[in-house]
Amino acid sequence: MTVLSCSGLSRRFGDVQAVDDVSFTIAEGETYGLLGPNGAGKTTTISMITGVLEPDAGEVVVAGQPMSTRAIAAKRLVGYVPQELALYPDLTGRENLRFFASLYGAARSRVDHVLDVVGLTDRAGDLAREYSGGMKRRLNVAVGLLHEPRLLVLDEPTAGVDPQSRNQIMDNVRALAAAGMAILYTTHYMEEAERLCDRVGVIDSGRLIAEGTRRELVEKLGERDRISLLLDGDLAHAAAMLGDLRDVRNVAVHGHGLDLVVDDARECLPVVLSAISSNGVVVRSVEVTEPDLETVFLHLTGKALRE
Amino acid sequence: MKILSIAWMNLRRAMRDRTGLFFLVALPLMLVFIIGAAFGGATTPLLGVVGDAGALRAESSLRVKDFPDEAALRSAVEHGEVSGGLVRTGTDTPRMLVRPDRTGQQVRMLVTTTLTQEANRSAAGDFVASRTGLDRAAALSAVDSVRVEPVEVRTSTTGEALFPRDYSGFDLGAANQLVLFTFLNALTTSAALVESRALGVTRRMLATPTPAGVVVAGEALGRVVIALLQGLIVLVGSALLFGVRWGDPLGAAALLGAFALVSGGAGLLLGALCRTQQQSTGAGILVGLGLAAFGGCMVPIEFFSPTLHTVAFTTPHGWAADGFAALTRRGGDLLTVVPHLGVLLGFAVVLFALGAWRLRRAVTA
Repeated sequence: MTVLSCSGLSRRFGDVQAVDDVSFTIAEGETYGLLGPNGAGKTTTISMITGVLEPDAGEVVVAGQPMSTRAIAAKRLVGYVPQELALYPDLTGRENLRFFASLYGAARSRVDHVLDVVGLTDRAGDLAREYSGGMKRRLNVAVGLLHEPRLLVLDEPTAGVDPQSRNQIMDNVRALAAAGMAILYTTHYMEEAERLCDRVGVIDSGRLIAEGTRRELVEKLGERDRISLLLDGDLAHAAAMLGDLRDVRNVAVHGHGLDLVVDDARECLPVVLSAISSNGVVVRSVEVTEPDLETVFLHLTGKALRE
Repeated sequence: MKILSIAWMNLRRAMRDRTGLFFLVALPLMLVFIIGAAFGGATTPLLGVVGDAGALRAESSLRVKDFPDEAALRSAVEHGEVSGGLVRTGTDTPRMLVRPDRTGQQVRMLVTTTLTQEANRSAAGDFVASRTGLDRAAALSAVDSVRVEPVEVRTSTTGEALFPRDYSGFDLGAANQLVLFTFLNALTTSAALVESRALGVTRRMLATPTPAGVVVAGEALGRVVIALLQGLIVLVGSALLFGVRWGDPLGAAALLGAFALVSGGAGLLLGALCRTQQQSTGAGILVGLGLAAFGGCMVPIEFFSPTLHTVAFTTPHGWAADGFAALTRRGGDLLTVVPHLGVLLGFAVVLFALGAWRLRRAVTA
């Protein structure tokens, strides 16, 4: 079931077209990564999805409810975790949560629940300014979970946090998705997107330029997995024999080894190794290279994600 | 309910700020005390004396403090440590050191009267002793036993006094400090509103199922509550600590409420206009003290030139200060200050409208 549907979203600030005709959907239990360099339009898109900003054109629908800056019913369905630490530093963790619980109309019992979820129960009575960066990030996430939203929007929720807090936040996200929550996730960390996201949309200069699973994006760009082998034996014979295998697209000989271009390295590798050893060639080393989202991103935008 | 929640959060944050608490509670009451004492509060004047204080030690309306020499006494008078000084050594004519203020003149009159009475008593004792043959102590005792009923002088008042006869410096200081600090702290605490926007909290509030109008109204109510609390601290604190009289309670409450609305509106507008906390604090102090000066909170409006008098009534401070003066000095009541309330509410409506419009633009643009 589709929880979020964005169609034709556009927004202009003066002469700058911040978001231009962006459309995508997120299903129940799906984690969707929105990736783009700084200034690509991610935060503007999120602002329109959360009802903070009105689009110039297009529409956002959350679980059947049209979203706008005045759409109270739709906002009840969305949890928002902004990029900045949008918390009062001079209130305690619990006070911050109680305040936002009152704005969401969430029961007070939810405060203790989300404190437990993000692992801050023991520090709930401390002022937020006394928290470490990671704890503040976790509290930031907790606010977005107070009212059990159908859609959780996380705008770079792990920026600048320690590995322990990052892992905890990622575990939380996985658990929430497994429980059926739809999640929109932006990040500067490619490995997070690869580990968490079922599908990814790449946004650049306000336009959604590619969308799909990691493998779909890789294939769209013509990128393939590679297997590099260091061998002892008859390389020419091995190359000819491997070139006949179904999933091997190309074989090149170099020095004492072979470079193979294959469809799916993980599926193909056992077949390749079996074929080589059955022909009396000894394998000295194996290296598998799978094109990642970083490669895709670089190909699409000409920039690294952190630029 | 959400409006109250936002307002309560503002109040709670203000209470957490220790520096802010000093300006909210301690400083206004300290100034009420200092101004009250400087302009003749309820304390008994302190007379510094070099030499023989004589009958002055028994005078109930004076306290006497001894000094070793005239230089030390002069320094104490100049620094305001004593209300006046008396040098009375040997057979020299007594000399007084006073500052050129009202308290100094009162002390001088009191000392002159007391020393004259002492001299008269001594002369009368000598006269009785010489005529009756009694020893001097018995003669002085006979003089002291003579009771003369005070001469009744019928007095009728005419014209208007600037301050009532029983009006103390505390009464004068408290009303002006209430107006000054209620407005000033409403402006300086608007830095919290700027901080909320800078932190992204206001934007986050807009992502909750809370209409923008409710967010703005909650922030506005928060500013009013802080202003009201500030006013109540000065009003109740000065009444309990220094016995300040605020006149008709209904009139005072209405004036305080109206002025808190003005202050809250000004705080909302400033918090919406400024981009940084430094801007809002700096502008808050400048505007708060400037309007207080022109509005008669530092020098009573009655002392202003006609031009400045007109200027004073273009500020909310002028109307509030004059309203409190009507209650505390001129015996007015709620009806007396209705015009003041009307003008103050007008100021409040304009400031709230501008502040709400600007804040809404700032958080939704």
